[in-house]
Amino acid sequence: MATTTAAVTLTSDLMSDSISVSASSTLMKAGTTADGLDMVDYGVIEIVTGDQFDLLDADNPASSPIAGVMANKANKVYIANHATDETYYVTIMIDAQNVGRLYAGDWMFIPWGAEDANADIEITSTTGTNKIEYALFHQGRTLNAS
Amino acid sequence: MATTTATIVLSSTDLLSDELSLTSTATLTQAGNSTGLTGTEGLARKTVTGGHAQYTLFDGSNFAADKAHKIYLKNLSTTAAEYFLITINSEDVGRLYAGDWALIPWSAHDADNDIKIDPSAADMTLEYMLFTDE
Repeated sequence: MATTTAAVTLTSDLMSDSISVSASSTLMKAGTTADGLDMVDYGVIEIVTGDQFDLLDADNPASSPIAGVMANKANKVYIANHATDETYYVTIMIDAQNVGRLYAGDWMFIPWGAEDANADIEITSTTGTNKIEYALFHQGRTLNAS
Repeated sequence: MATTTATIVLSSTDLLSDELSLTSTATLTQAGNSTGLTGTEGLARKTVTGGHAQYTLFDGSNFAADKAHKIYLKNLSTTAAEYFLITINSEDVGRLYAGDWALIPWSAHDADNDIKIDPSAADMTLEYMLFTDE
């Protein structure tokens, strides 16, 4: 079993007392404490303005050797926007539902259920070209025979 | 100006043949500029007594639309099989299992763009915090 940990620290001075929140979790397969997520897809890609793209496809077409991830599991998705212009951002959507905007320098870390074939993680750049780093930690795919 | 930072460290010594150690720090700023976020709700905890019912955690109509809000969530359950299903409007995002956390950019795109939680069991507790771009 692989052991992968994800830790976050949030700090802020926006209150009259300082905020410091930390959390760390070991990325486990769904419903177990004995078996960690042991597969990862990782990449860096430039997203040009205009079209909406499937950054992570919940159910790749049969022509692809790599089909969709297993649904309703404990998949985790990390996305970071490496743009440096503060006006640049990408819009993250799941199955056409707007999640949020990832501005230059921002990152996100979310669970992803990929609960059906349409539950893709979609990305659109509406400003300049944004360089996006992403990682999907998951527990398996259904492979398409060649 | 307030300065709020979020740092993530992803690490593993045995997922790949070489060690994984990924760190990223973001300063949380308003949409399209370098001014820090100045609003927050939380840090707070909500214990949901009934299982398998959907609750609205943040109502999209209560926040400025198409901004750079950020949401922190953590499932405080220690029972491995227990999870919160996170939903935006009617679209499932994913399952936040026991001990898991998430940091989600939220645009509050429209009045229906609510953040909803659905616990898989009774008496589960969620820790949450919202940094707002108002």
